Amino acid sequence: MEERGTDMSQEIIFEAKHMHKAFGPTIALKDVDIQIKRGEIRGLVGENGSGKSTIMSIAAGMQPATSGEMYYKGEKWSPKNMVESQNQGISMILQEANTIPHVTVAQNIFAGQEKLFSKAGLINMTAMYKKADELLQKFGISNIKGKDPVGRLTFEDRKLIEIVRCVTDDTQILVVDETTTALSHEGREILYKLIHKMTEEENKAVVFVSHDMDEILEQCNVLTVLRDGDIIGHLTREEMDAPDAVQKIRLMMVGREIGRKYFREDFIPSHQEEVALDIQNISMGPIKDFSLTLRKGEIVGIGGLSGCGMHDIGKAAYGLVKLDKGQVIRNGKPVKNCLQAIEAGIGYISKNRDLEAIILDAPIQANIVLPSLTSLTKGGYIRPKDEKKLSDEQIDAFRIKCGSGKQYVNTLSGGNKQKVSFAKWTAKGSDVIIMDSPTRGVDIGVKQAMYALIEQMKAEGKAILMISEELSELIGMSDRLIIMKDFRVTAEMERSADLKQTDIIEYMI
Amino acid sequence: MENTKTKIFSKNWFKTNASAIAGYGGVLFCIIFFSIATPLAGESIWSAAKLSTLISDVIVLAILSVGAVFVYSLGSMDISIGKQVGLYATIMVAITNSTGSFILGVLISLVIAVFIGLVNGATGELLHIHSVVSSLVFMMVLSGISTLIYSGMGSRNVALKNFDHHIFKSPVLMVIVLIVEVIIVTFLFNFTKFGKNARAIGANPVAAEQSGINLVKYKMIAYVIMGVFVVVAAIFQMGYTGSASDSTGTGFEMNVMVALILGGMPLSGGMKSRVSCAVLGSFTFSLLNVGLPIIGIPVNTVNFIKAIIFIIVVLITCRKSRGILPR
Repeated sequence: MEERGTDMSQEIIFEAKHMHKAFGPTIALKDVDIQIKRGEIRGLVGENGSGKSTIMSIAAGMQPATSGEMYYKGEKWSPKNMVESQNQGISMILQEANTIPHVTVAQNIFAGQEKLFSKAGLINMTAMYKKADELLQKFGISNIKGKDPVGRLTFEDRKLIEIVRCVTDDTQILVVDETTTALSHEGREILYKLIHKMTEEENKAVVFVSHDMDEILEQCNVLTVLRDGDIIGHLTREEMDAPDAVQKIRLMMVGREIGRKYFREDFIPSHQEEVALDIQNISMGPIKDFSLTLRKGEIVGIGGLSGCGMHDIGKAAYGLVKLDKGQVIRNGKPVKNCLQAIEAGIGYISKNRDLEAIILDAPIQANIVLPSLTSLTKGGYIRPKDEKKLSDEQIDAFRIKCGSGKQYVNTLSGGNKQKVSFAKWTAKGSDVIIMDSPTRGVDIGVKQAMYALIEQMKAEGKAILMISEELSELIGMSDRLIIMKDFRVTAEMERSADLKQTDIIEYMI
Repeated sequence: MENTKTKIFSKNWFKTNASAIAGYGGVLFCIIFFSIATPLAGESIWSAAKLSTLISDVIVLAILSVGAVFVYSLGSMDISIGKQVGLYATIMVAITNSTGSFILGVLISLVIAVFIGLVNGATGELLHIHSVVSSLVFMMVLSGISTLIYSGMGSRNVALKNFDHHIFKSPVLMVIVLIVEVIIVTFLFNFTKFGKNARAIGANPVAAEQSGINLVKYKMIAYVIMGVFVVVAAIFQMGYTGSASDSTGTGFEMNVMVALILGGMPLSGGMKSRVSCAVLGSFTFSLLNVGLPIIGIPVNTVNFIKAIIFIIVVLITCRKSRGILPR
């Protein structure tokens, strides 16, 4: 496929020819040709399973291609593993958390390189900490020190540590695979600054794999769209600036007109009279006196930066954290722990999907029926037939892409994993669903389906508390929107057609 | 990536079923190997006498291992069970001798076993300590109690008087008890909340808790189920010889662990835990115990061979290739 509008004088740093990858009968990449040039921030977009991550994971040595050839710096390239690839200059920041727990930040950064600081078999930790501090400073990270234990860092900060570990002076190609969803606002700024410095000042290349269309359009200077293992086309910076670019890219990704319907189409806030969940003056840690009433058939959105306390509100409403003051009332009774919450018909989808919301190392069916085991027990035991029926109903309803309910969740793509975590609660028949970052790491096709599903839940009279860092979906879906900053509510707005992101951001930062 | 139905005997099939292959393969290999090798060396392992030795060798280990499936599926373990067997055997002999009631001895043992189970199950979760630690404490305490009892008696062993323990030597009873146990545990493990929740806890305690599973409760249940079967195992251990000593049960906790691993049980617990692992592993373990001496391997070498087989199984089931990423 011809690349348009790129300067021919740019040096090609990486090239794949006829790259083909099959997992058993499933073809992930069909004979793909791609060239990466120096100075490029190349965006790769496509739906889950389109092969966008696969290309770069092969280039970075995570897995071999089934057939095809790769060239790196003009020579034939076939890395045996990620270690070799990283040493040669292709680094990849992965979607999943990848830090070593229970040791310090410095030990994480220099894992496998302790020799640099060792003398007579002893490691000079002071020197290592100092070097780590220097590095962190260089990347513009001031709130983390080399001495800090990794366990004490937030999920977002751990991601930054990975970036510091991956990127060295020798790194020629940096692959950022869905990393930004795991970063805080400040973390993203640090990463953006880094990739622009690498490409503009050091003439290196960055490949940016993301679901976030706004981010891609803002940061990348070339965009490649994939679908079903094929490269559908490339867009230049000028094409990305065109007013209909988003529509065009979506069409390329999905292959059909996905329709204008994405978020809710009505702009009138609505709900039933009956109160579904009443959070009364709760205080915990830095959060003081927070109240919220959620009614049947209402979607309440809470937005803010990730450290603003909104995620804690979700946990508190589900009984996961101990309250200093106040209470959460459901059906006239207080909810004190998550067992009571579940029995009272509350479901919770954690932001930390792979670690908290689902059991990766378990079949889909076991995940879906887990909260419903008590109601499935009849006459002292659980009939496998009932279990399968409940699970298959949900798999069908959510159109979870799988061979059968016996398939392990860790073999599913991100979007399908998220569907499993939704299915758990619809199977249980929960009437109040607390969803923390429900569409994190999910592509637009699945997002669209999720939004339709959330709207359907609302129509069924379920009450939804949607906590999210994505303003567009909060504006698009909520009947009422609460904005938090520094553990306090700074604004509350009703659904309306005129609500704009820019109006909201000022309350967040 | 999705929709991959793995073909039988493909590379992927071997990968996903490695633990089951190791479990079934181990026991099949032992059966085939000893069926051929033992008749050549003189006496077949399937002769009536050897078969009965095999059954009596396997029974205690199998009862313990099957009972321990719940605890191991949590990703926990209990290293006090050897000492528990010793203490219960001692209690049964002593109570039967002093009161004439064997049942009373069993009941007292059950009460202690349930108590230990509840404490072992609860402490890990409530005090946030590893399950090995609390069971280690019990191991030491029980060891102390046993020393006190035997030094008080001035003897290192006690034997049953006026009680016919003949019935516990019957291979038929042993097999029936084991079959009943396997049925009960399989039922609880595969068809009730207890087993499903235990496996979920083993696979991901955080997600399990957020799905409404009471970790303390189900851990306690798992330990209590095991405790009950430890008492059953103690009955057969004591019944075979009609006596108990201060070394009864020593090392059983490790034999259980080895048997479970030989059967393909993941030590981290989780969804791949199966009751069959315990049965298969126990038989592999005992086949080696009984078969190797028949083909002329000295008893003191048997442990080395077991160690080699153990390493092979561990290598098959725990293979992961991952290097540390450099900076």
